[in-house]
Amino acid sequence: MKKTILLLFLFVGILSFGQQNKMPNVTLKNLDGKNVNVSKYNNTNHPVIISFWATWCGPCINELSAIHNVYQDWQDELGAELVAISIDDARTQKRVRPMVNGKGWEYEIILDDNHNLKRALNIINVPYTIVLYKGEVIFEHSNYTPGAEREMYNVIKSKVKK
Amino acid sequence: MIRKLTCLFFFGATFFALAQENEQNKNQGQLNVGIESNSQWYIDDDKIKISEIDAVERFRSNNYIKADYFISKWEFGVQIESYSPMALLNYAPELDKTHIGTMYARYNNTDIGLDITAGHFYEQFGSGLVLRSWEDRQLGINNAIFGGRIGYEFVKGARATILGGRQRIGMGFDLADSFISGADVDISISDISNMENVELNVGTSFVGRYENLQDKYPTLDKMTTMHSVRADVAKGGFYAGAEYVYKSKDALVEGQGALKTILAEKQYDGNALLINLGYSQRGFGLDVNLRRMENIGMYSERDLNGNTFNTGVVNYVPALTKQYDYALQNIYVYQVATTTGFSPYVKAGEIGGQFDLFYQFKRGTTLGGKYGTYLAVNGSFWNALEPQDLDLDQRQVSTGFFDFGRKYYNDLAIETRKKISDKWQTVFLVMGQYYNQKYIEDTTGEHKAYVVAGEAIYKFGDAQSIRVIGQHLWADGDKKNWASATLEYVPSLNWSFFLQDLYNYGNDNKEAQLHYYNLGGAYTHGSTRIGMSYGRQRGGMICVGGVCRWVPESSGLTINISTNF
Repeated sequence: MKKTILLLFLFVGILSFGQQNKMPNVTLKNLDGKNVNVSKYNNTNHPVIISFWATWCGPCINELSAIHNVYQDWQDELGAELVAISIDDARTQKRVRPMVNGKGWEYEIILDDNHNLKRALNIINVPYTIVLYKGEVIFEHSNYTPGAEREMYNVIKSKVKK
Repeated sequence: MIRKLTCLFFFGATFFALAQENEQNKNQGQLNVGIESNSQWYIDDDKIKISEIDAVERFRSNNYIKADYFISKWEFGVQIESYSPMALLNYAPELDKTHIGTMYARYNNTDIGLDITAGHFYEQFGSGLVLRSWEDRQLGINNAIFGGRIGYEFVKGARATILGGRQRIGMGFDLADSFISGADVDISISDISNMENVELNVGTSFVGRYENLQDKYPTLDKMTTMHSVRADVAKGGFYAGAEYVYKSKDALVEGQGALKTILAEKQYDGNALLINLGYSQRGFGLDVNLRRMENIGMYSERDLNGNTFNTGVVNYVPALTKQYDYALQNIYVYQVATTTGFSPYVKAGEIGGQFDLFYQFKRGTTLGGKYGTYLAVNGSFWNALEPQDLDLDQRQVSTGFFDFGRKYYNDLAIETRKKISDKWQTVFLVMGQYYNQKYIEDTTGEHKAYVVAGEAIYKFGDAQSIRVIGQHLWADGDKKNWASATLEYVPSLNWSFFLQDLYNYGNDNKEAQLHYYNLGGAYTHGSTRIGMSYGRQRGGMICVGGVCRWVPESSGLTINISTNF
C-alpha cells in the first residue's frame, strides 16, 4: 500500500511540469440552463474574475456585493468580467436566481451543484477568488475580508495598464 | 484483486496518456494538487470532558491529498486519505489509517461529446433525488461509486449517461455489497429547437440497486429501483420546475447498530414530488419550493438504513430550509426522516414547502439610502404526512396525497443588509422557529425559538476592518436561552483574528450554563489558508447542505490547513 502511494507521488512529481491552464475541461450549466465549458476563460484578452460563492455564505455575499458597487467602473476601466460560480447544492440552489436578481448582480452565474469544478480546482472553502488574464493567474485568494476587492482592483489594474 | 487491477489500469492509462502526449506534443498537461489537513487536540477542561472511549486518542487528524492530471482529453486522479492516529470525533469508524480514497481515469472529448470514466466517480442525476454521489469532508461523506460511467451528448443540448458500480462505504476500496446501476437522459429542448425566448429542459432517470439477501430473506427482491421524470421551464422572469420519483418496494428496517433488523415481510414503495416556482426581475426575486415525499430514501446496503454517519446514501433528500449564517440560528436545524418507520415513532412521510423573497430598496429612496438596502424574507413549514389505517403490530400504514399531519418544523426570518457609508456596513435579522424535537431527533419535546442578530462591519485603512456580531436566542424548552457575541479583527489582507462566545445562560441545569468560547486566527496567502483556534465546541448537529453529523461536546485546539497548486 505505502509503496503504491509512493509510486503515485513519483508519477505526480514527474508529470508536474509545463505551462498550466488554470481552468480544467469542465462543463456546467449557467443560470439560463446553457452549457458553459469553463476552460474558455483560460485565454481571454480581458481580466476574468472567477468567484466561488454560495447563497449561505455571508462573506461571499459581502464580496459580490462590494464588487457590485464598483462593477460598472471595473468593466469600463479594466474590461473586467466577473463569473460567479455557485456551489449551492440541490438544497439551496433554487435560492440562487431570486437572490442574484434581488441583489441586482449582473454577473455570469454558473451552477456547480455537485462540485465538479470546485473539486477539480481543489477548492476547500468559499469564498475563493481567481483572476485570469491572458492565460495567467494574476490573483488568487481563499477568503474575503472587507476591502480585499481594492487589492484585487490594484492587481488587475497593474496588469491591464502595462 | 480489484485493487491490483485498478492500479494496473491507472498506471497503464497514465503511460498511455504520456505516450500520446509525446506523439502529439501540442497540448501540455496540467497537474492540480490539493492538500487539506484538519486536526484537533482534545484537551479537557473543568467543565467539558470527552468520553473515556474517545480519550484513547486525544490528538486526531483528518488529512487529504488529491492530485489530478489533465492531459489533452485525458484526466487521471487519485485522492489519498489519512485518518491518523485516528479520525476526528464522530466520524465513521471505517475511516481509519492511510489509504487511497478515490482514483480514476477519464476520457472526456467535448468535440464528439463523449465522456468515459473508470474508477471512482461522483455523479448527480437531476436534483439528486434519485442519485447523488459526492464528497463532504466536514461531514465525513464520500459515497463515490467505484465502477464505470459513460456520458454521451448525442445532439447538442441532449445528453445520456449510464453508469454502474459499487459504492464506497469506508475507505476507497471498502465497497458496499451491492451493485448500483443508473441511466439518465437530460434534454434541453430550447437548445435543440433554437427557441429564443423560452427555456425548456426535460430529463428522466433510472437507478437500480442489486443487493442479494435471498439466502437470509427469500422473499426479498434482489433489485430495488427508482424512476424519475423532471421538467423545467422559464420565460421572461417566470420559471417553474417539477420532478417526480417513484421507488419500488423495499423492506422496512428498524433499530440501530447491532439491533438493526430487516423486516423482509414488511415492504413499502415510495415516491416524491418536488415543485419549484418563481419570478424574478432586477431588484426583486420570489421563489417557492414544495415537496411531498414518502419512503424515498435509499441506501446501498439495506442495513445501513438511517445510520448516523450518512454512510451508503444513494440519493440526496435534504431538508428544504434555508441554510442560515449565524451560530444561534443553527441550534435548531430541521432534518427529515427519508424512510417510513414505526419505531420509536410512526413516520410515514413529509409534506410542506418554503419560500424566499429578495427585494432591493433602490439607492436614493428613503429606505434605500445612499447605497440601497437589501431585504431577504424566508419561511418554511414542514409537516408529517398523516398516518392512516395504522396498525402498529402489523407495521402497516397508508397515506393520503394531501393529508397534512403533525407539524415537524417551521420558520420565518427577515434579514436586512445595508451599507451605510464607505466605512460602515450592517446586517440585522429576526427569526422565529418551531422545532418538534421529539420527531426530528427521536427524543422528546417541542420548542418555539426566536433569534435576533445584528452585525456591523467597520472598515478603515487600506484593508483593515472590525466586525462585531451580537445574537440572542429565546427558546421555551430544551436548553432555553442563549446569548452570543463575536469580535473579528482583520489587520490586513492576509490575517484575521476572532473571539467568540456562545453562552447558554438560560439552561435550567445550572451546571450546564456554559460559555462556549473560541478564539483563533487565520493566515491566508493566495490559495493557502492556515487557521488555528482554541476553545469549546458546542455538542450537537453540524449541518452542511441539509445533511447533518452529530458531534460531541469537546474542548481543545483546532488546526486547519488547506492549499492547492
